[in-house]
Amino acid sequence: MNNPKSANLSKWLFNPFIYIAGEQALLIGWAAMLAASVVSYFSKTHFDGAIDIHFGASGKYLWFLGEQFIAWFSVVAVFYPVGLIFSKSRIRLIDVAGTMAMARIITLPVALMGFLPIYPVSLDNPVKLLLSAVFTMIPAIWMIALMFNAFSISTNIKQGKAVACFTGGLLAAEILSKVLIFYLFQFL
Amino acid sequence: MFNNIKYLLFIVNNVTKKLPYFCPACEAALKVTSLGCEACGTAVSGKFDLPVLAKMSSEDQQFILSFIKSSGSLKEMAQKLSLSYPTVRNMLDDLILKISKDE
Repeated sequence: MNNPKSANLSKWLFNPFIYIAGEQALLIGWAAMLAASVVSYFSKTHFDGAIDIHFGASGKYLWFLGEQFIAWFSVVAVFYPVGLIFSKSRIRLIDVAGTMAMARIITLPVALMGFLPIYPVSLDNPVKLLLSAVFTMIPAIWMIALMFNAFSISTNIKQGKAVACFTGGLLAAEILSKVLIFYLFQFL
Repeated sequence: MFNNIKYLLFIVNNVTKKLPYFCPACEAALKVTSLGCEACGTAVSGKFDLPVLAKMSSEDQQFILSFIKSSGSLKEMAQKLSLSYPTVRNMLDDLILKISKDE
């Protein structure tokens, strides 16, 4: 039998959008993204793509800030039209934008992880390499799970259709974010 | 022993009966075949369809009642239920889909 308290905790950890969406989620998400950009500047953690996490390279603060907002903009720019096309519900841009911003809350603890002594990782140290892979994979999977639930709740697309739309959309968002980072960073 | 029987009787008398709308034998939709007046004992028999609302689960019926009480405002409902707006909108859309399938 499911424990209601643990079920509630797992909902808050993986699908907080059941309770929070729209403007409130957008403000929480933007605040977390802003804080994460400051922390990542000092810990040299890059979120240079829709779902990318990389450690070790320093740079201007504007790059770290730009990466956060380009990654968020890319998923919103892809998933909102996907929702309009495939959802039977009347979806709102603010819900897609808000929940996708809130899903990036994970980038804040990840940015803090950049201070761990295992970074920067060199290829000749397999222990550091393994630890780094684990530390990168867990938050990345968590963020993807949050993004999937954000997409499903904000567009009311479920099950197999949601998986197909989300996988395709995430791939498109990843490409879009890479293109935007490549072109926009020439001006920063 | 006596206390146990009293407890069992208490459960039987206080259990909330759910209206069955599917046949337990073949799972076809059930119909109302008799209605009775508790005051004078008159009985009416025939074949009557269950109303759409009666066929719904108690959770769905509760949702519809809350929707009416909120004057159809999903924002107000979301606040009352402590849920986000899209969650409540999705619940309503799923219910609309369920009703459309039943019709």
